[in-house]
Amino acid sequence: MFVEFKHALKRYIGQILGWGTGLALLGILLISVYDSMADQMDLYQEMVQNLPEGMMAFFGGQDVMATPEGFVAMEFFSYMPLILGIFAVQVGTGLLVRDEEEGILDLIMAHPVSRSALFLGRLGAFLLATGLILVIAWLGIVVPMNWSTMSLSLVEIARPFLSLYAVMVLFGTLGLLLSMVLPSRRWASMISGLVLVVGFFIDGLGELNENLENIAWLTPMHYYEHLEAFDGLNTGWLLGLFTVSLVFTGLAWWRYLRRDIRVAGEGGWKLNALNPLTVKK
Amino acid sequence: MESSAIEIQGLEKWYGAVHALRGVDLSVKRGEILGFLGPNGAGKTTTIRCLLDQIRPSTGTIRVFGWDPKRHPTRVQEKAGYLPGELRLEGSMHVESLLSYLQELRGNRIDPDYLEDLVGRLDLDTSRKVKNLSSGNKQKIGIVQALMHQPELLILDEPTSGLDPLMQQEVYQLLREAQSRGTTVFFSSHILSEVEALADRVAIIRKGKIVEESTPGQLIEMAMRRVVISFLKPVDCAPLEDVDGVKLLSHGTEDQVTLRVEGHMDQLIKSLAAYPVKDMQTASHSLEEIFLKYYREDSKEEN
Repeated sequence: MFVEFKHALKRYIGQILGWGTGLALLGILLISVYDSMADQMDLYQEMVQNLPEGMMAFFGGQDVMATPEGFVAMEFFSYMPLILGIFAVQVGTGLLVRDEEEGILDLIMAHPVSRSALFLGRLGAFLLATGLILVIAWLGIVVPMNWSTMSLSLVEIARPFLSLYAVMVLFGTLGLLLSMVLPSRRWASMISGLVLVVGFFIDGLGELNENLENIAWLTPMHYYEHLEAFDGLNTGWLLGLFTVSLVFTGLAWWRYLRRDIRVAGEGGWKLNALNPLTVKK
Repeated sequence: MESSAIEIQGLEKWYGAVHALRGVDLSVKRGEILGFLGPNGAGKTTTIRCLLDQIRPSTGTIRVFGWDPKRHPTRVQEKAGYLPGELRLEGSMHVESLLSYLQELRGNRIDPDYLEDLVGRLDLDTSRKVKNLSSGNKQKIGIVQALMHQPELLILDEPTSGLDPLMQQEVYQLLREAQSRGTTVFFSSHILSEVEALADRVAIIRKGKIVEESTPGQLIEMAMRRVVISFLKPVDCAPLEDVDGVKLLSHGTEDQVTLRVEGHMDQLIKSLAAYPVKDMQTASHSLEEIFLKYYREDSKEEN
């Protein structure tokens, strides 16, 4: 399991550095902007008040925007699940199926590595890679804060990152599960992506529309905390996200242990091949 | 100790509505080289992948050194070296790193001298990136990784595909050496000369069933052959048609006859003792012709 974990992690190094550095630079930029605006907060508040109501709904209301946590939440954390969710979906759907579709898995699975070891090794690499990206991004905010007028503690900044991590893990495991049951990785990415984007907008616009608000609780994004997280996380929500991820992981693992591995170039499964009613046992 | 390296009984595999394997029964003895032949889509790769638990049989039993691959996949994989028919490798890796990774997957239980010997004999440049290699050189990686841990069983799906004739000979030599160490070799191939040269036994699969299982020599011996007999004077050939396995194809002239003989020639030769035979010509059959017979039967049925 460790060999596969190490190998998978090596493959993510580029992504860890790329996403991590990009987000860290964004953090540094935000802190610099905040400092340059520190003595013009009234103007910023005025600008925020002029934002459309729909946009404000995404950011948790206008009264807190001029605070340090409101500024970071609005300019950084509010849209992060959408961006990093794409990473999580891509990695999750490709965790095993990418190699399977490329035909590489055929050879790896001829080696004495159990399906469970392969699955868990790669899942572990995904979890660590996701965590490392967020740690680098967190450093991008907390390190420049040493020279900034922004006064937020390390833990305060870490809380929304933890919530973001839970959302990323959930979308990664959703992608993994869908890649195990749908005909191809493309399908799994498409549906996971759809859940991500639609969920983001339903939750964001829920405050404006009663109908959307009524269904927003069904989307994982509803349980993502950014602005609220600075004061403390809703442990129930956080554990809920991790629990759902665990269920997705369990189902994906169960399916992976039982399914056939495709040959390179074989293409996607036909959906009827997966239907237990049509598959002859 | 199990006397068979591979034991397959009643193996069936459905892909949705497609019945890919229809009851494969096959046994491969320890230390033998078995050539697994069949037209495209006959079920060769499906059978091979069932052996390694990459796909799960719908019914039937498989034992590899007594182990059920479905229940004990890693036991089987420890003992086997596998070369897939459609070999795909991680292009971004260097050959050396790829081989190291595959060694690690085998718990680093590889003799470095043997690995070095393999790499040298196959003239494989390990410093290059996989994606920059030709298909023949990629195939060499496949052969090296299959052999490097000196497995008890080699499962090779078209092992010399893409290799030049010199390298093909080197691979044959490596397989013979492996056999001399006691390794069982189970390989599929479309190169009939390869099968003829290497295999102790041949199994032909057609439409998901084993239709022939024999030694290459026996297969050739049992095949139909065309025999042209010239006589010293015109004779009545009709009695020859009563000989088992003989069919009269033509009377060329009154003192010459063409026969088709199935199986051994013994009965025919004994019957010819009563005739004034001047000359007898027998067209020998290669394994290729025998294989083509099965292949053509497939095509005829499809048409």
